[in-house]
Amino acid sequence: MAKVSADSVKNIVVACEAGMGSSVMVAKQLAKQLKANGIEVTHAPVNQLAATQHDLVLCHRSLSQRAKQAVPESVVIAFDMFLGDMNIARLVGALQTGQDISDD
Amino acid sequence: MANFIPAGDGTHTGWRASVQKVGGNLAGMVIPNIGAFIAWGLLTALFIPTGWLPNEDLSSMVGPMIINLLPILIGYTGGRLVHGQRGAVIGAIATVGVIVGADIPMFLGAMLIGPLAAWVLKKIDDVLDPRTPMGFEMLISNFSLGITGMLMAILGFLGIGPTVNAFSDVLGRGVQTLIDTGLLPLASILVEPAKILFLNNAINHGVLAPIGVIQAEEMGKSIMFMLETNPGPGLGILLAFWLAGPKILRGSAPGAIIIHFLGGIHEIYFPYVLMKPLLVLAAIAGGATGVAVFSLTGVGLVATPSPGSIFAYLAVTPPGNHFGVLLGIALSAAVSFVVAFLILKATGSSEGEADLEAAQAKARAMKTGASE
Repeated sequence: MAKVSADSVKNIVVACEAGMGSSVMVAKQLAKQLKANGIEVTHAPVNQLAATQHDLVLCHRSLSQRAKQAVPESVVIAFDMFLGDMNIARLVGALQTGQDISDD
Repeated sequence: MANFIPAGDGTHTGWRASVQKVGGNLAGMVIPNIGAFIAWGLLTALFIPTGWLPNEDLSSMVGPMIINLLPILIGYTGGRLVHGQRGAVIGAIATVGVIVGADIPMFLGAMLIGPLAAWVLKKIDDVLDPRTPMGFEMLISNFSLGITGMLMAILGFLGIGPTVNAFSDVLGRGVQTLIDTGLLPLASILVEPAKILFLNNAINHGVLAPIGVIQAEEMGKSIMFMLETNPGPGLGILLAFWLAGPKILRGSAPGAIIIHFLGGIHEIYFPYVLMKPLLVLAAIAGGATGVAVFSLTGVGLVATPSPGSIFAYLAVTPPGNHFGVLLGIALSAAVSFVVAFLILKATGSSEGEADLEAAQAKARAMKTGASE
């Protein structure tokens, strides 16, 4: 189970299957929320995760197994809803208050 | 430490990830090239003899694009997924063999030979790279690619092209039988649940669209493009959530409707259905209604509407098909709305107030019970 401290997260990648649709939408929302914290949010296809620079991976729960397979060492946070998700809200909270983030 | 719900698949284990992976790779070869599909679709909709502005000269681009350009792009992208730029180049070379070895648009063939050729080259590179003397790198890498590419193109021409041709024939005849016997709406029983499990791209770009392009090339349009992409069922479900869903979800429904129906990101409604799995019945009923209307009115699309937005639909609807297309979308939305509304009302008393937290806790419990 991977773990990362909030202040070492500078780059979050949101993954979806094609890396062009839903991930872009979530990444844009998140980028707005985290801009003030100096955290960059990008997007990528789940099968290209290994080749994508990131400190933390965010993806829908249905893809999180594949994401974990692709980058076993990274923290992979799964969300359920594309709008108003609690896990994403928690993640933003943890990043802004400087808590450790773990995916176990 | 922040309290997260663990990553992992809440409801299923291994098999779905595997199917998704295969399907995801198929979709991964197609989706980056959708822009080219749209260019081709627009040229087709505008300039073929039955189009909006028939023009013989300009419509001469339609054939070469569908027969050559699109399969080569797919083979190129498939190769790139496996072995970077060198994989992409050999994927494109090998795809030409498949194209020439068949008389239909070779999407499936390109999806096979592109990654295969790249994989073979990768293995060859693994052997040659450590043995290449200094100064000979370029010579050897160019000729290993060229020679392997030639061989893979020949393999595609002699082996894969004719095989996929025969396979597509059988597939196409099966689909035609379904259409002729009026059984095509039953496809929704498979398509809609698979969509909810995030197999939407795999089904559409991996299976349905390759059959669709063959029909579109022969007949100028195909209903296969509409089985998975119809935004009607999702619209109905989201509307039902807006009016009758658990209170905590009602607020996000209007935004989700815009993103789904206008933006074409269908993924946004899948979680709503996963939260109340019975709603898949609403999706199936709506989907089947749409397909039935599309069949009865004899409509089709000239290319795959991707993303599945109402705007993409209108852009690839050929002249004279708008009534059937819009009627099918509207009725499928209406049917899925009514079914979803009834389900939400009926189950409302017991779980209606179950909020997101509870749903996520349930997913966590299922996860704990499942072996990974």
